[in-house]
This record gives sequence, C-alpha cells and structure tokens, in this order.
Amino acid sequence: MSSPDTDPVTEVILPSMGEGIAEATLVKWLKKTGDTVSKDEPLLEVSTDKVDTEIPSPATGTLLKTVALAGATVEINATIAWIGPQGADIPASLTKVTGASASKKIGQNRSTSTSNSDAHSQNLGRSNQSGFFHEGSTTTRSSPLVRKMASDLGIDLRRVQGNGLAGRITKDDLLTWQNNPTAHVDATPSVAPLLARLPTATKSGIESLEGVIVRREKMTKMRRLIAEHMVESTRVSPHVTTTFEIDLHQVVAMREKHKQAFAAREGFNLTFTPILIHAAVEAIKKFPIVNVSVDGDDILWKDSINIGCAVALGDEAGGGLLVPVIKSAETKSLVEICRALQDLAARARSKKLKPDEVMGGTFSVTNPGGWGSITSIPIINQPQVAMLGIGAIVKRPVVIVQEKKEQIIIRPMMMASLTFDHRVIDGEGGAKWLAEFKRVLENWTVEPLS
Amino acid sequence: MSTQSFDLIVIGAGPGGYVGAIRAAQLGLKVALVEKFPHLGGTCLNVGCIPTKSLLESAKTWDKLQHINDLGFEAGTPKFSWNKIMARKDKIVDDQRKGLRFLMKKNKIETFEGHARIAGKGKVSVTLADGKTTTLETRNILIATGSRVRQLPFAKSNGKGIMSSDDILFITEVPKTLAIIGGGVVGIEFASLFGRFGTQVTVIEAMPQILPSEDEETVKELSRCIKKQNVTIETNAKITSIEDKGKAGVVLTTTEGPRTFEKVLVSIGREPVTDDIGLSTIGLNTERGFIKVDLATYKTNVDGIYAIGDVIPTPMLAHTASAEAMHAAEVIGGKKPHKVHYEANPSAIYTYPEIASIGMTEKHLKEKGIDYKIGKAPFSPMAKAKIEDATDGFVKIIFEPKYREILGVHIVHARATEMIAEFSLGKILETTVDEIAHTIHPHPTLSEAIMEAAHAALGAAIHM
Repeated sequence: MSSPDTDPVTEVILPSMGEGIAEATLVKWLKKTGDTVSKDEPLLEVSTDKVDTEIPSPATGTLLKTVALAGATVEINATIAWIGPQGADIPASLTKVTGASASKKIGQNRSTSTSNSDAHSQNLGRSNQSGFFHEGSTTTRSSPLVRKMASDLGIDLRRVQGNGLAGRITKDDLLTWQNNPTAHVDATPSVAPLLARLPTATKSGIESLEGVIVRREKMTKMRRLIAEHMVESTRVSPHVTTTFEIDLHQVVAMREKHKQAFAAREGFNLTFTPILIHAAVEAIKKFPIVNVSVDGDDILWKDSINIGCAVALGDEAGGGLLVPVIKSAETKSLVEICRALQDLAARARSKKLKPDEVMGGTFSVTNPGGWGSITSIPIINQPQVAMLGIGAIVKRPVVIVQEKKEQIIIRPMMMASLTFDHRVIDGEGGAKWLAEFKRVLENWTVEPLS
Repeated sequence: MSTQSFDLIVIGAGPGGYVGAIRAAQLGLKVALVEKFPHLGGTCLNVGCIPTKSLLESAKTWDKLQHINDLGFEAGTPKFSWNKIMARKDKIVDDQRKGLRFLMKKNKIETFEGHARIAGKGKVSVTLADGKTTTLETRNILIATGSRVRQLPFAKSNGKGIMSSDDILFITEVPKTLAIIGGGVVGIEFASLFGRFGTQVTVIEAMPQILPSEDEETVKELSRCIKKQNVTIETNAKITSIEDKGKAGVVLTTTEGPRTFEKVLVSIGREPVTDDIGLSTIGLNTERGFIKVDLATYKTNVDGIYAIGDVIPTPMLAHTASAEAMHAAEVIGGKKPHKVHYEANPSAIYTYPEIASIGMTEKHLKEKGIDYKIGKAPFSPMAKAKIEDATDGFVKIIFEPKYREILGVHIVHARATEMIAEFSLGKILETTVDEIAHTIHPHPTLSEAIMEAAHAALGAAIHM
C-alpha cells in the first residue's frame, strides 16, 4: 500500500465556518460517489446554527468516497470525503485513523443501520462503530470486534444475549445468535427483552405464579412476532385515540340498493369494510399526515396510500392475524377495493399471501365490529402513524335536527376510533381527519359499479 | 484434637491454593489451607518464578556491568559474589513468604502444615509435621497440589552432578560447564542465566525447536541472541546415557558421542502431584495423573471437590492457577463468575531478551487452516530502545484479515513480559488491530512498538 505522503488522494475536510461553530449538519451531497468534480465546484450543502452554505471541492478528480451521509452532524476539521484519480485506493490508515472519527449519525434507527450495512462494512474504522455506539450504548455492551461483525452482518445487537463480563456481547455470543437466532431468544431473554418474564416458582415439577398453578405453553412463532410488534409499537409511538360517532344511513341505503346485484355479479357479498376503507382513503387525501412515517426527527411523506386491513385468521388457520395491504388504494374504485380486499382476506386465511402483500402499508384499518364490539382502540402498526378502529353498526335512536325541528329517528350508527402517533399528529389533526371521514360517510354518494 | 469443620479446605498453598483461599474467605467462607512444605507459596515462590527471576535479574545487571564503560561510566573491573546474589534471592523469597503468612492471618484462614489426604466425603486427614494426624471436616475441597519436576527414569537427579530445577536454585558456585536436558521454558531460562555468568551451556532438546509452544520467529530471534551468552543449542538430540562420576563430572552420551559436563540440569517438564492425596478413596477420576474438571466450574466428578492449577490439564502457569482458583472459590461461594479466558492467557519467558506471547502461533494457524495476516515492528529503530540499550527484538501481531481480530501476539525484547498485558486486556475485550493502532501510546516508550506493529498491520507503519 502506498504511503500517505505520496498518495494523490485528497481528503475533503469540513472547513471552519466562523467563530463558535463547532459542527455542521450535512444537508445534501451535490455529487455522488464516482462523479467527477472540479476544484472549487460545489460539493455539498451544509447547515449550521448560524450559516447555511455550500462547500467547494478542494481538488479536481473523482469523488472516491464519502464518509458521512446527508443528515449527519460532523465536527469542523473532520474528514468527510476523498477525491482522487478514478479507482485510486484510499490509504487504509487515513480511513481508519483520521477518517470520520468525528462523524456521528443523528436520528439513526435500527432499520437504517442494518440497511446501510454495505456502506458500513466499506466504511472502515470508527465511523461505523460510532453508529453502533450511538444507537446501542443505552442497551448493549459489546466489543469492537462484535460491533464490526454486527455491522457487516446486519445484526441488531440489542437482540443478542451478552454472556461476557458485565453482560458484554462477545464474538461467541454473536456467532451463537447468528447460527440460531430464534432458539437463542427462546432460551434466554435478550438484555432488554421485548417480552417480559414473570417470577414463577417451580416446586416438585409444578409451576405456579403467585400461588396459582400454571401450565406453560410456548407461543407460536406468529403469536410471538405479534406480541413483539405490539410491545415495540407502544414503546416507539406515543399513542392517542379519538372517537367519533358516525351515522351510516346513506351507506346502508346504498348497500341495500346494490347488495343483490353486487353478489350476483361479483360472487361475494358487498360488506361495509371496503366502503369504510374507501372513505378513509378520501380522508387521507385531504389530511395526509396520518399517512407518514417518522424517522428520527425526519417525517417521511409517502407517494401512495396503501391500506393495511387486519384479518383474523381464525382457529382453522392456527389463530393470529395478518395485515394484508391494498396497494395504491387512492387509484382504486370502490369495486376494485372490494375485490382486492376479498382476494387478500381469502388468501390470508389460506396462508397464500406473498411476502410483499403484507408489506408497505401506510395506514391500517381494523374492524372487530363484526363480533359486536362497539368501539375499539387499535395499536399502531409500525412504521405507520395511525390506525382506524371500527365498531359495530348498531341501530340507535338519535336526535336529528331538520329545518330547526328536533326529532328522534332510528339510525344505523357506528363508532370510529383513530389511534395516532402524537409525535407527528396532535389532537386537532386526529379529530380533523375523523371529521372528514365522518363527512364522507354521512354524505355517501359512491356506488359499487363495475 | 477435636474435629474442626470448614466451608472449604484448600490443599496446596501455591499461587492457586492461597489465592483461592483468600477469595473464598473474602466471600465469607470459613477456610483452611493445608501445605505439606514448611513455607507457603508453592513452587512459584519457593522453587520457581520468584527465585529464578531474582537470579535472572542479577544476570541482567551483571551483563550490563560488564560493558558499563561503554555507557559512560568508569567503574573498573566489575566482580560478582554468587553467595550474595543467592542471598538476595533468598531474602526476596523469604519476604514474600512472610507476606503470605500475613495475608492468611488477615483473611482469617487457618493454615495447617502437613500432608493432606482426602479421607472420604467432606473429610480431609492431615499428617502434621510432628507425625500426628488430624481429621478436618469440610463442605468443599479445592485441590491445588500443583506439580513437581519430571525425572528422567534412567538418571534421577541426585542434587549433585545431576540436578533438577529445585536443586540448581541452591547451587553454591557457578559451574564451568552445564548441560541442560530439555529446551523448554525452565531449561532456556537457566541457560540464559548461567551462560551470562560465564558457564559454557549446552542445551539438548529432543524436538526440532526449543520452546516448542512459542512462535518460530520469536524463538529464532532469541536463539540468535542467546548464542552470544555462551549457550549452544542442540535440537533433534537423543540422549542414550548419563553417568555421574562425582568429582570427574557427569558423562552424558548423545548420538554425538560422550561428553563430560560439570553439572547436568534435567528440565524435561513437570507432572501433577495427585498420587498421594487420597483421590482413589473417593473415586475421583484422573487421566495421566491430571484431574479432569468442568472448566466452567472446576468441579471434579465428585460432588463438593474442585481442582485448579497444575493438577488439571490447562497451562502450567502461576497466573493461570490464580485465575482458576479465584473462579473456583467464587463458584463455591455461590457466585456466577465469568469463565476463565484461556485464549487471553499470556505466557512469559524471562530470558534475555524475554519472550512474551498470547494466543496462536503461525504454526497453529497453519495447522488449523485459519487465514491470517501479520503486522510486525522491530525495536531497532526506536529511540527508547536505543536509550535502554536494548534494540534486539520485535512485536509481531497475527490477525484475522476481515475484521482484524487479534489472533496472536508474540513479543521478543528485553522487557517483553511487561508489555504483553496490553494484549491480555485487548483479547478479553475483543479488541481489533484498529483499536490498538488508534490507542495513543506514550512517547518515548518501548510500547510504541506495539502501536507501530498495529499500524504495520494496517499497511501504514510510520517509522519503517
């Protein structure tokens, strides 16, 4: 390897931007790795608490490698990239010792750290480790070797049981977990277990909890995944729920009108759920904040509305639930939503869904009203930020005001509850969305025509 | 004598036994320590590590004195007194023995001078120095009886012409000629010791390499240096007979023919002391004299009986025994200690230069088919090495190429043994070469060679 002295590669160093500025946030790279760049040509945009500016390239050549991703906060004088002849090697000592030791990613979460594992593994030295320190320092102790391996292999160290000194995760622990992650988690709870253990007592082979004899049964894999997802969701999102009562007489009338023809034509019944989904999509179009994800302190706006609909699998399918996703629901007519839901629900119960049909949801709906529940308060399906819970449609006497005259009329009423993530949606936002949902349903005009 | 009862009886007061006894006492156990020799400290303190290192330090000083004029002093012709060198050694040993007595008292450990034999479940019978026997009761027993020198069956040491390492530590004069049978750590240390005091030393080793468990490269460097200390090394050698002819010397016959030496040191290894401690009465299993234990707990196959140190088939090193003893004591005391990290168990050889190492050698790695790379830095360009007048040697780091995990470290230098602990910690913490390179080492020190070897491993040595 060539020595640092004679190497033609130029380090790009984050320059000083004035008195009292110690660090800057990289807003955007204006050049990609592999792009050619001329000396003094703008290379990236940075932002500090005092100035926003472009950083010019210190040399002419190819942008060989960038250390810090957009969004990272980097100390002044840290190396952020290398420029040199195409295909030139970056001296290992530079990337290890000087390189990016000062960089740290902000707002990095688990999914980005694992999906960036390629970048991490190329990114020698401390920069990748600091990422792991940053996210894992509160819950895991590990070793430099283990952090490198985990980064390379895309393993979330928080799931690995540490058996070293003071619970440190050792290479052996990592390899054991890698060989058999499920069994290991079953055998010993992780450092910060999602599913808490109870202090049961066993005497002469009989187990009891607080004096009550218990029979222990292992959860199915699906049950355990649901349990973990639910606990994780309540941990990640501050949940708030708001409930509206909605008069469905227009919807019921429309359904009565089309019921028979629809069944005859489509081969299945026209149910309320796809109608409610259609109404939800209309409300999302007006208030898309319920259709986002939260990544650190960034909001991710989505360019389609994909509605997840919770489907109970029933005892024959071994219990549990799946949430198949109606993709691009904003482009679908009511009948198309009916057909999509019919198809997905049937295949969910017969376990014939494809993996991508349960992924990519942007908003979810659950309807336990069919079992008689009058309201339900859902837990958000991560990484979404809102979920609609539907109650049973029940005929109630309601007071209707028509032409300044109050009268009691029997109407099909339904409770609709929206659980939303208070990180991005406040009470007002949740109520406004539900009000729009209610307005759409109470003024229903859409017909299920093919 | 009324029967006394204990939570733990430790048999053997070496660096395994006394350390285990103290740790158990710290955990609140009532502990007895039985030692058959009049002094505590075992082989290490009485006839091992401590007296040999004391003499080796004297050899180092003597070596320096002989060219003291080159260092700017006008000291005339230096002389040494072997008696005084031996007396210094004895005083160091005696001071440490007193220190151990104090530690036993401080930790309220009851010591018995006598030969212990396990007499049954929870029973230890001790034949005291005065010939009387007492039986002690206990809930647990820790066997730490250590090892003794292995003898050649056809030429047992007689303390005169044919000596063991135990005998030679009390030799009254420096011999003119000395044959050392066995080029292991003990043999090579004595070669380096007596060679520097003027003895013509011949090391006779049956294997192709002296110090066979050490890395070939460090041994080569040591061999080069030790040859300048009046030491001749013969490898692949076979001894056919040894005959002590009294004042005429010892005639030693190898495939090379017969030769006469003033003294012969037999240093062909050590064997565990397990033959007369009552193991068969309780059905405790041994294999070739070693006690088989579970390395997570040091439990033997008999409930309540533990064993550590040279009597179990792990490296016969004082610091290994101490680590195992602390662990066993913690298990006995109801703790759940972290297992002894044998991969991070350093070895130290106090020749001149010294060899210190940890982990795997290149030969091991080749045999196991493990891919590796090497980062190496010599001491010769380093200012501190020149200042200390000790430029021989190097640091060699063997590492795994992908994650740069440290697989083995081999240091040969006058002060190698003081430098290896960095890697004991490094191995336990699973440090990679990157962190060693990134660690600021003080300047000017010899330890900079470690940092330089790590930089070399990353392809970017600064001073080469």
